[in-house]
Amino acid sequence: MSAGAPPIVRIQGIVKDFHPGLGLRRRRVLHGISFSVREGEIFGFVGPNGAGKTTTLKILMGLIRPSQGAASILGHDVGETSFRRHVGFLPENPYFYDFLTGREILRFYARLSGVPRSRLGSRVDALLAWVGLTPAADAHLRTYSKGMLQRIGIAQALVHDPSVVFLDEPMSGLDPIGRKEVRDLILRLRSEGKTVFMSTHILSDVEMVCDRVAIIVRGRIRFEGATHEFLTGGEPEADVVLARLSPEAAASLEEEFRARLRGVDERIELRVAEKLVNPMLHAAIAAGAEVVSVTPHRMSLESIFLSAVEEDRARSKGAGGEDPT
Amino acid sequence: MITRVFTIAWNTGREAVRSKLLYTLFFFALVLIFASLILANISYVERNRILQDIGLASIRFFSVAISIFVGVGLIHKEVERRTVYTILSKPLSRGEFLLGKYLGLVGTLWLQAAIMIAVFAAISLLRGVALDAGHAAAFGLLAVELAVVVAIATFFSAFTTPLLASLFAGGVWIAGNLTRNLRDIGADSGVEIVQQVTALLHRVLPDLASFNLSIEAAHGLPVAASDLWLPALYGAAYVTIVLVCAVTIFERRDFK
Repeated sequence: MSAGAPPIVRIQGIVKDFHPGLGLRRRRVLHGISFSVREGEIFGFVGPNGAGKTTTLKILMGLIRPSQGAASILGHDVGETSFRRHVGFLPENPYFYDFLTGREILRFYARLSGVPRSRLGSRVDALLAWVGLTPAADAHLRTYSKGMLQRIGIAQALVHDPSVVFLDEPMSGLDPIGRKEVRDLILRLRSEGKTVFMSTHILSDVEMVCDRVAIIVRGRIRFEGATHEFLTGGEPEADVVLARLSPEAAASLEEEFRARLRGVDERIELRVAEKLVNPMLHAAIAAGAEVVSVTPHRMSLESIFLSAVEEDRARSKGAGGEDPT
Repeated sequence: MITRVFTIAWNTGREAVRSKLLYTLFFFALVLIFASLILANISYVERNRILQDIGLASIRFFSVAISIFVGVGLIHKEVERRTVYTILSKPLSRGEFLLGKYLGLVGTLWLQAAIMIAVFAAISLLRGVALDAGHAAAFGLLAVELAVVVAIATFFSAFTTPLLASLFAGGVWIAGNLTRNLRDIGADSGVEIVQQVTALLHRVLPDLASFNLSIEAAHGLPVAASDLWLPALYGAAYVTIVLVCAVTIFERRDFK
C-alpha cells in the first residue's frame, strides 16, 4: 500500500466503559486507543491477558459499542453490516453448532455471507481442502479436536473470500504442529493479498509473521510500528566477538566507538552501532585481535513487551494505583 | 435479507429437530393423547367428550410448554455459547438474526403441533368422532397462540437468563389466560385505582383466552368467523410489537 492510501482498519480515540450496574463504579477497559492497519499487511495486536485486545476486536466486529471514539473498516463505520461481506472473523476459542458437520457449518456461514448458491458447493469444498479438513467434512463438529475446530473457524472466516480477516488468538490452545499450520495459513492469506489483523499474546508468533504490531497494556496503546523497528529497538546495532585482544586495547575500542563491552571466557564481546562496525574491526585487527563473529543485534519482542508492561506498572504506581475511571 | 433470515430459521429448526429435550416433551404429549383414549374407554359417560377434552388440552399444554422451554434459551444460548460472535460478524443485522431464530422455532413448533393433531385426529376417527370446522378453528388459533408465546419467550431471552425468562414467560402465559377474569374482578371491585390497574394489565398482557377454542371444538359449538380472524389479527399485532421490543433491546446489547 502506498503511504497515502487510506487504512483498511482505523481506530480513533476509542474509549470503552463497562457498567456493572447496581450503583457500582464503571470500569474503563480502553482509554482512548488509536491505531490503523494498512492494506495487505499482517498486523499483530499484542498484549497481556486482560489488556483490552478482545474488547477492541469486539468493537471492530460490532459486538460491543464504544463509549467514545470511532472505528471503521474499509471506510465503513463498524456499526454498519453490509460491508461485512468483505470481512472475516475468527473469535478466541470459537464455538460452533456441534450438531452440524464441517460441511454443513461452512454452507451455513457461506449462505449468511451471501455466497451465491451456484458457487456454494465448490467454495465449501475448496475451503475444506484448503484447511485440510476434507476427510472430516461429514463428521459432526462435536467429534472435532481443538485444532480441527480452529481450522474450521478459519475456514468459516474465509468462506466468502473476504479482503480483511480478523483473528483473535488464532494459536491459542494449539500444539506446536497446530500453531505452525495456522501460521502457515496466515502467511498464505497475505500472499493472496488479504489484510490480516491478529490479536495474540504469543510473541514468537508475532515475530515470525507480523509486518507491524501494536502493543496494548491495560487499555492503552504503548507501541505501534513495523515489527523490524521494534526488534532492532531504534538504531541498528551489532555484536562483535573478538579473541586475542588485550584488556587495554579492548578498553580503547570501548571508549573510541562507544561500544558496550563484556568478557566471554577468553573472548570479548562488543555491542556497537552497525555503522561503526567496519572502522572498529579495522582498529581491532590493527591491535592484533582475531574476529570471531559479527552478528546483527535483535532485541526480542518479548523484552520490548515486558518493558512496556513494567513501564505501565510503574506509571500506574506513580499515579496512585488504579486508572481513574 | 430473506435468504439470511431463512438461513437462520432453517438452522434453528434443524437444531430443534436434533434436540433431545424437544423429543422428550413430544413423546410425553403423544403418550397423553393415547392416554385420553384409555381414559375415555374406562369411563361410563361421555367417552368421546373426555377423549376430546384431554386430547385438545394435551396438545395445547405440551405445545405451549415446548414453546417456553425452547424459546427462553433461543437467544441467550447463542450469546452464552458465543455462536453469535461469528454469526453477527457476517453481513447480518441483529434484527434479522432474532427474526430468523423466532421464525425457525415457530415453524418447528407448528410442525410438531401438526403431528400431534394428526395423531389426535387418527385416534378420534378410531372412536368414530370426525374432526370438524370447530376443530380446525381451534387448531388455527393454537398456531397463533404458539406464535405469541414464542415471541414472549424470545423477548425475555433477548436480555435475561433462561431460568428467569422461563419464570417470566410462564408467568405471562398464566396471567394471559386469566387477564379477562382479572379485568372483570377489577371492574366489580368498585375501586377506581384497581379498575385502572386491571384494565391496564388486560391491555398489556396477551389475552391468551381469546385463542382458546377447545370448548367450542370439544362440544361442537358454532364458531363465528370473527372468533377466528379477530384473535388472529390481534395475535399478529401482538407478535409484531413484542418482536420490535425484543429487537430494540437486542440491538443495544453489548456481548462482553
